[in-house]
Amino acid sequence: MKFNPHFLGIFTDIYGSYDAMDIPKALLVALVGFLTVVSMLAVIALFIKLISFIFSSIEKKSASKVETLISPVENQKPRAESTGSALPETESQGELELIGVDEPTAAILMALVSYRTDIPLNRLIFRSIRLVEDE
Amino acid sequence: MELITNLLAGLWDASGFALLTWQNGVMIGVAFVFLFLAIAKKFEPLLLVPIAFGILLANLPGSGIMDDLTLSQAFGGDGSMATAGSHWYDSGVLRILYAGVKSSIFPCLIFLGVGAMTDFGPLLSNPVSLLLGAAAQLGIYVAFIIAIVLGFTPQEAAAISIIGGADGPTAIWLTGKLASHLLAPIALAAYSYMALIPLIQPPIMKLLTTKKEREVKMTQLRNVSKTEKIVFPVVVLVLIALILPSVTPLLGMLMLGNLFRECGVVDRLSDTAQNAMNNIVVILLGVTVGATANGENFLKPQTLGIVALGLTAFIFSTVGGVLLGKVLYIVTKGKINPLIGAAGVSAVPMAARVAQNEGRKYNPTNFLLMHAMGPNVAGVIGSAVAAGFLLLMFQN
Repeated sequence: MKFNPHFLGIFTDIYGSYDAMDIPKALLVALVGFLTVVSMLAVIALFIKLISFIFSSIEKKSASKVETLISPVENQKPRAESTGSALPETESQGELELIGVDEPTAAILMALVSYRTDIPLNRLIFRSIRLVEDE
Repeated sequence: MELITNLLAGLWDASGFALLTWQNGVMIGVAFVFLFLAIAKKFEPLLLVPIAFGILLANLPGSGIMDDLTLSQAFGGDGSMATAGSHWYDSGVLRILYAGVKSSIFPCLIFLGVGAMTDFGPLLSNPVSLLLGAAAQLGIYVAFIIAIVLGFTPQEAAAISIIGGADGPTAIWLTGKLASHLLAPIALAAYSYMALIPLIQPPIMKLLTTKKEREVKMTQLRNVSKTEKIVFPVVVLVLIALILPSVTPLLGMLMLGNLFRECGVVDRLSDTAQNAMNNIVVILLGVTVGATANGENFLKPQTLGIVALGLTAFIFSTVGGVLLGKVLYIVTKGKINPLIGAAGVSAVPMAARVAQNEGRKYNPTNFLLMHAMGPNVAGVIGSAVAAGFLLLMFQN
């Protein structure tokens, strides 16, 4: 088993004793400490960027696979995604038939479905929204 | 008759009234004030009630509730410890429980619960939050320099300065390792200032920002996939622990708790870490930390210095976060509201709520809470890294 060689703090290792602490050394320790925190968190930020890039690439690939599978049916309609470019997150796919429903209400319903199912709007296809009258 | 007189005199001598010192009296008063603040004013009641009660218990003389018999044996007579009454279990009940603080068990278990309660989603969707969380540790290092100037030892200065991290368990963890004799004033100062964040931060935020900056509405955060949330705690722990091993106990437990929450297959463990276990440890930690505030040790000019330094650390941490927020406001051409920088002082979720409330004061349609949660949880990591650095520098 390998033990941590620093039984005492690094400061003692360098200066021999804690009594050696004076204001210039305190400033130096503070500066190095602050830079350590900033650099550590900056490394984590870069790491997050990296994993989000990797996961978004994987998602894009799987999305394009799904698109290829459904394309024979979808190609019958003129669609924005047929160009192969990804839609903005706020934009939905396909044409939507509204029967007895105005556009703002339809938008609210679509947003609700997206929220409840946790599926982004650009991954949902709404065929039609119909008002059902009470009998 | 004489027998009765002697009996009554003996009873009086053994009573708390005969043993009560003025310091005990003052600390009992302090405990009453804290209980009032916690119950009537609702200042961090979950922590302040057990802490205040611990102070009360430790200052009721003659109870022996915090007596350390093993210590007195170790220094007594011929040094023999193998006499009756020298076992650890003969010490006061709170002294025995205090082993959980000294050994860092309680702070680490609290971090497990904090991890299980923390959603790193806002941080993952906006990684620049991490820089705000780092900038908001500025107060730690400013307070460290001032403490050295005031004549505190490096270990004491490091323990005092960590109050600026606005993270109770981290402050207790580091103080227990570097300057355990200061545990009570540091823990009390840390938790008191955390409770006072809604009073301390807004004037600084207002002073350092313009009305236009405070009104900035930030764009919606991106959705973070479950896989990202699972990968994050594991890989970040490995990354940080390899660079700064001293921080592993705290961050390890934080990330374990977060993995419980995010992996979705150990809901029972996540629930226990968040609720039952966390509540039990908060009770034990609060009471035992409070019980270290014995009048004779606590009522010293040094305590006032610690309280003042803690406030300085808090102020400079807020300044650091807001100033970097202003820099990011300029760099991103007005896309980041500098108020969220103040949330980088940790103190989850109080500091984020303050940013939200301040933002809404100047733009009622503004919702900064989720944006502020990013720097807020980054502050938890930042203060743990700062504590790890100070421990590595000054460990005994």
